[in-house]
Amino acid sequence: MSDITEPGRSGRNIPPIAISRMTTEVNLTGSWKYIRPRYEDRVAPCNANCPVGIDIEGYLYLLGQGRTEEAASLLLEENPMPAVTGRVCHHPCEDGCNRANLDEPVAIHSVERRLGDIALASPPPAAPDPARDEKVAVIGSGPAGLACAYHLARIGYRVTVFEAAPEAGGMLRLGIPEYRLPRAILDRQIDRIAALGIEIRCSTAVGRDLPWSELDTFDAVFAAPGAHVGKDARIDGASDTRMVRPGLEFLKEVNAGGRPVLGDHVVVVGGGNTAMDCARSALRLGSEVTVLYRRTPLEMPAIPQEVKEAKLEGVGFRFLATPTAARAKDGSLVGIECQQMELGPPDESGRRRPVPQEEGRFSMIADCVLTAIGEDCDLEFLPEGVEISGGVAAVDELCESTTARVFVGGDAADLPRSVADALGSGKRAAIGIDHWLRERSGEEVAPPDLAALRFGPGGNLSIARERGIDPLHRASPVNEVAGWDAMNPAHFEQAPRHEDHFHAAGDLTATFGEVNFGLSEREFRDEVDRCMNCGVCNRCELCLIFCPDMAIHRRDDGEGFEIDLRYCKGCGLCAAECPRGAMAMSREES
Amino acid sequence: MKKVMIGNHAVSWGVQRSRVEVISAYPITPQTQIVEELSDMCADGRLPARYIKVESEHSAMAACIGASAAGVRTFTATSAQGLALMHELLHWAAGGRLPIVMADVNRAMAPGWNIWTDQNDSLSQRDTGWIQLYCETNQEVFDTTVQAFRLAEQINLPVMIILDAFFLSHTSEPVDLTDQEIVDEFLPQRVAQYKLDPSDPHAFGALVRPDAYMEMRWQQQEAMRDTLRVMPEVDEAWGALTGRRYGAIEEYRTEDAELLLVTSGTITSTARHVVDARRSSGEKIGLVKIKMFRPFPTALLRSALAGADRVAVLDRNISPGHGGIFAEETRSALYDVPLEDRPTLFGYVLGLGGRDVTPSVIEAIVDRTREAEAPERQDLWVGVEL
Amino acid sequence: MSQTIIKDLMPKDELLASGHLACPGCAAPVAMNLVLKALGPQTVVTLPACCWSIIAGPWPQSSLRVPLFHTAFETGGAVASGIKAGLAARGDTETTVIAWAGDGGTFDIGLQALSGAAERNEDIIYFCYDNEAYMNTGIQRSSATPWGAWTTTTPTGEPEATPKKDMVSILAAHGIPYIATASVAYPVDLVEKVKRARTIRGTRFIHILAPCPPGWKTQNDETIDLARQAVQTRVFPLFEVENGRNWRLTVDHADEPVAPYIRRQARFKHLTDEQVERIQADVDDRWERLQRRIDCGT
Repeated sequence: MSDITEPGRSGRNIPPIAISRMTTEVNLTGSWKYIRPRYEDRVAPCNANCPVGIDIEGYLYLLGQGRTEEAASLLLEENPMPAVTGRVCHHPCEDGCNRANLDEPVAIHSVERRLGDIALASPPPAAPDPARDEKVAVIGSGPAGLACAYHLARIGYRVTVFEAAPEAGGMLRLGIPEYRLPRAILDRQIDRIAALGIEIRCSTAVGRDLPWSELDTFDAVFAAPGAHVGKDARIDGASDTRMVRPGLEFLKEVNAGGRPVLGDHVVVVGGGNTAMDCARSALRLGSEVTVLYRRTPLEMPAIPQEVKEAKLEGVGFRFLATPTAARAKDGSLVGIECQQMELGPPDESGRRRPVPQEEGRFSMIADCVLTAIGEDCDLEFLPEGVEISGGVAAVDELCESTTARVFVGGDAADLPRSVADALGSGKRAAIGIDHWLRERSGEEVAPPDLAALRFGPGGNLSIARERGIDPLHRASPVNEVAGWDAMNPAHFEQAPRHEDHFHAAGDLTATFGEVNFGLSEREFRDEVDRCMNCGVCNRCELCLIFCPDMAIHRRDDGEGFEIDLRYCKGCGLCAAECPRGAMAMSREES
Repeated sequence: MKKVMIGNHAVSWGVQRSRVEVISAYPITPQTQIVEELSDMCADGRLPARYIKVESEHSAMAACIGASAAGVRTFTATSAQGLALMHELLHWAAGGRLPIVMADVNRAMAPGWNIWTDQNDSLSQRDTGWIQLYCETNQEVFDTTVQAFRLAEQINLPVMIILDAFFLSHTSEPVDLTDQEIVDEFLPQRVAQYKLDPSDPHAFGALVRPDAYMEMRWQQQEAMRDTLRVMPEVDEAWGALTGRRYGAIEEYRTEDAELLLVTSGTITSTARHVVDARRSSGEKIGLVKIKMFRPFPTALLRSALAGADRVAVLDRNISPGHGGIFAEETRSALYDVPLEDRPTLFGYVLGLGGRDVTPSVIEAIVDRTREAEAPERQDLWVGVEL
Repeated sequence: MSQTIIKDLMPKDELLASGHLACPGCAAPVAMNLVLKALGPQTVVTLPACCWSIIAGPWPQSSLRVPLFHTAFETGGAVASGIKAGLAARGDTETTVIAWAGDGGTFDIGLQALSGAAERNEDIIYFCYDNEAYMNTGIQRSSATPWGAWTTTTPTGEPEATPKKDMVSILAAHGIPYIATASVAYPVDLVEKVKRARTIRGTRFIHILAPCPPGWKTQNDETIDLARQAVQTRVFPLFEVENGRNWRLTVDHADEPVAPYIRRQARFKHLTDEQVERIQADVDDRWERLQRRIDCGT
C-alpha cells in the first residue's frame, strides 16, 4: 500500500484523464463462447447431379472471378468434350440447381458450351509424358471410349482406340444430327483428345476387322461399342416395304451426308432422343413428320428442349398411339394401322404401362415409317468370360467386367444411355483401369476411395478430387449436398435466366446448320453471376461483414478466411447468414 | 485603451482579446449582454470565432466541451438557473481537464424568480472541479478573463469568472482594455496536451474502474494544488505587463488589525469605504478579499487572519442547514491556527437575492462584531424582517 | 446482379477492433463497423451514454481506431457540434464528426440537443442505433420501445402502452438536408447512405435498427435476420428524406405479415393474436403515411 500522503510510484503511468492508448484486443472475448463456427464447404447439387462428375460449381466460381483459363482447365479435368456436352447433354445438373427455388435454374449447359468453345479455341494440349509403360486398348470412339482414353492418356498411359466407323466419334457422329452438333465442333474436340498422344484407328471393328486376340498385346481393354441395333417395332407387314426403317440407320445415313427421299408423310415411332432426331432430320428433308408415341408427353424420355424444338419446327405429335401394321402397295408404303392406347398400371420402369384401348384403331397416311423405340448392343465380339446380363455387360462401378483385363462401359453397360453417362462411365473405367494396372504391376495402391471421389453421396467420381486439385481451396469439405434448406435466400435477388438463342423457325428444308446459337457474352456473364455457389464459400465476405466481433479475417493467400477464435464470441451470425451453407457451428469442447 | 463599459462587456472584451476560437452560449439575465456583445464581435469581425447559438446552457457547456476537446480555446457565459442546468457537464469539463473559461454572473436561484445578485449559483458548483475567481470591479473582470485562459490552459482545469449581477454586470466603469499585442504576448494560442485528432486517434472518457479512478482524481486535486502556486504567477505575469495585480486574496489595511472583514465580489468595495472611514478614526480594522474560492487559498487566508481578534465574514450566499459558505470555509482554514492566535469568527449572511449591502449595513456589522461577546449562532442573518 | 457481392462494395478500412465488449450477436458493432468503413479514418466519434459506452472498452482501451469522445447521455448533438466547430476553427473542415447514440440518447434524453443541432444545421452526422429500449441499464422502456413490448419497466402485466416515437418525422420537420433509415441486414444500402451522407454538409440523421438478443429475447444468431424481417414486414422501412421533403424508399419491401416477426421475439410473447393484429394495423397505417409522403415527394 502506498503512503497516505504521497502517491505510490508503481510505474502504472496513469494519465490525468481517461485517455485510451490501446485497443480492446487485450480482451480475449473468445472465452465467452460455447459454440464455434467453422468453414465447411459442401457439394453443390449440380455437381452431385452431373453424370460426368464435373465440378460445375467450381468452374462457375472461377468464371465469376474472371479466372477463365482456370475454369476451362477445371472443366477439362473431368470432361474431355465440353463443347459437345454443352450442346447435346440433357443437363440433369440444371434439374438439381437450387436456383429453381428462387427463379429458374442457372443455364449451366449454355455456360458450359461457351466455356467449351473458349477452350476449343485455345492451342491444343501437349501430349503428356508417357509416365506409364502399359498400353490400353479402347474399343469404340464414342463418348465413353474417348473419355476413358482421354483420362488414361493424361495419366500417362499409351492408348489406342479402335473405331469401326470411318471416322471417330461413335454415336456423337453417327446418331446426333449436325444441326445439334456441328461436325466442325466434334472434329476439333476429337482432335484435341487425340493430341494427347492417343492413336485412333478408324474402320477397324474389333471382331470383324481385327480379331480379339490381336488385343492381347494390350495390358487392358476398355470396350465401349455403343448400342447400334435398333429394336424391332414389330409392325405387321413391315418387311413388305423398305420404307419402314430403323430410325438410327436413317440418322447414320443423313449424318454421313446422305439425303434419302422419304416421301411427303413420315411417321416416326418413339419418344426418345433418336425419335426427335429422326423427326427433325426428316423435316429437313422436306417431309411432313408426325411422331407416334405410345405414352403421353409426360413420359417422353427425350430431352424436353428437343421436343420443344421439334414442335416449334413443325413436327406433329400423336400420343397414346402405336403402329400395328404397314400397308404397302407395290413395295411402296401407303399408310399404317395404329392402335389407340391408354395408360394402365405402372410397369417395371415405374412409368404407367400403355395398354390398347378397345375400339381404338385408326390409320394414317405414311410414305415412310422410322422406328426409334430403342437400341440394343451387339456384344458378340467380347470374349466368352464376359458375363452378359439383360443385353449389357455385367460390370462393377469401375467398369471391370467378369473377365480380367476387360472393362466395359458406355451404352454396353447398364446405364441411362446419354452422352453424359457415357463420359462418366469412361472416366470411371479410366480410374478402374489405372488402379488395376498399378496393382498388377506390384505397386502398393489402396483401392480408390469411391465415396471420397464422388460428388455427394450419389454423384460421379471426380478426377480432380483423385488428383487433389481444388482451385477453390474448399475448406474442410463435407461430402453432402447443399440443398435449398442450406441456403439463405435473403442474399439473392431474382434474376431471370437467359435462354439460348435459336434459329428462327421457318423453312428448315435442307438446313442442317446449327439451330442453337447459345448465349451472348453478356448473357453468359449473367448466368455465371446467377450461380449461387451452393455449399461452397465464394469469398462473398458477408461473414466478415456480419461478424460483430471482427473475428473473421481474409487469409493472406487470398483463399478464404480465418476465424480468430480468440475473439469470436460464438454468436453464430456468420453461419446463419452465410448465403450458401458453407459454414457450420459446433459446440465447444468442455 | 480605456473605455467606459458595463461589467458584462468587460467580459466580452476579455474574451475578444483572448482570441477565443469557439463560443457557445445561451441567453440568461443578467449575463445576456456578454454574449450579445460577443455576437456583435463575431459578426463584425472583431473576433473571428465560431459562435454556436445553442438551445440551452446544457448544450452550451456540452459544445464547449466538444470544442475544447478538439484543442481550441472556448468560452461561455451563464447565470443561476443556467449554471445549475450545466451542473453535470461542469464535472465532465473538469474531469476531462478541459481549460474552458466561463463567466458566471452571480444571480439568485429560483424560486421565486429572482434575477439579482447572489452567490448561491456559483457556490453550488463548488465541488465540480472548477477554479472560481470572484471579481470586484469591471477592470478586474476584464483582467481576470484574460488571466483565466492562461491559468486554465497552463494547468488544464476549467475556470469560472464570477461577477455580481447588476452591481458589475450592468454598471459602467472605466476599463483599460489592454492592447492586443500585449495580450498576445501574455496568452499565445492554445496548444492542447491531448486532443481529438484523426491522425492520432484515442478515446477519451472511457469507463474507469476503481483501480484507476482515484489516481485520476488525485491528479485533478494536484492540479488544484498547483493552481495555488500558478494563479499568483499568472497574476504577476499580467501585472508585469499591465501593472494590475489582484492575488488569490487581497489584504487591505490589515496591518495590526484587530478586526478583519472577509469579503468577496462587490461587497468588498463597499467594505473598503467602511474600513477607510474606521481607520481614519483610529480603529484597527482591515479587510481580506477572497478572489479565488477554488482552490481555496487556505494558507494565505490563515496567515492573513491569524493574530486578529475577530473576523467577520460577509456571505451573500447560504448553505442551507449550515452557514455562509465563505464563513464556513474560512472557519475551516483557521482550525489549524493555534488557539491563542485564532480569531473569533462571525459569519454574516446578507444581501441574498440582490438585497442592497450599504455602508451602513457593514458599519453595523463592524460594530456588532466588535461589541458582541461571541457569535450567537453559526450564521448571523443581517436585516431579516419577517 | 443476382447476389450481393459484398466485398466489391465494402470499403476496406477496418476501424473497429476485436475484443470489444458487446454481447454475442449484438447488432451495434456490426452497424458501427459498416458506418466507419463508409466514413473512413478521418472521423471523430461522439459517444453519449449507451451500450456502446461499454462496447468501446474500458480505459485504457478503445475498440475504435478513430478518435472517440465519451460524453454525457443527453449531449450527443451538442458535443458533436462543439467538436466540429473546434476542428473547423483550426481549419479542419474535412473531418467528419458524428454522434453515435442509442435510442434513449436520441428519442428521450438527447432529443433536445439533437433538435438544437438539427435546427442549427450543424455539420455533423447523427447516428441513432436503435435497440428499442435502455439495454445497457438492463432493458427499460424508452420512447423507442414498440407498443406491446415487455421490458423490465413495462412488465407483461402492463406492457408498453404507446407506439414507438416517430423520430424520423421529428427530424424531417427540422428540414435537415439528409435523413435515412438503415439496417444492418442491408449493408450495401447502409454503406451507400453513409457515403452519401458524408458528401452532404449540414445535419444528417441516420437511424439504424439494431436488434438486441438479450433485450428482444431472441437467439444470438437471429440478429441480422430480425433486422431484415423488420424491413420486409415494413416495421422498419428503409428510406431517405432530403431537406425534409423528397421521401424515397431505397430497397424493395415485401409485404410480409408482421406476426412471424413479433412471434419470434419473446419480448412479445404475452401478446394475444388480436394484439398482434393491432400491431399489424399500426404498421399498415405508418406504411400508408410513408407512401403518401413518398408520393408527394416525387
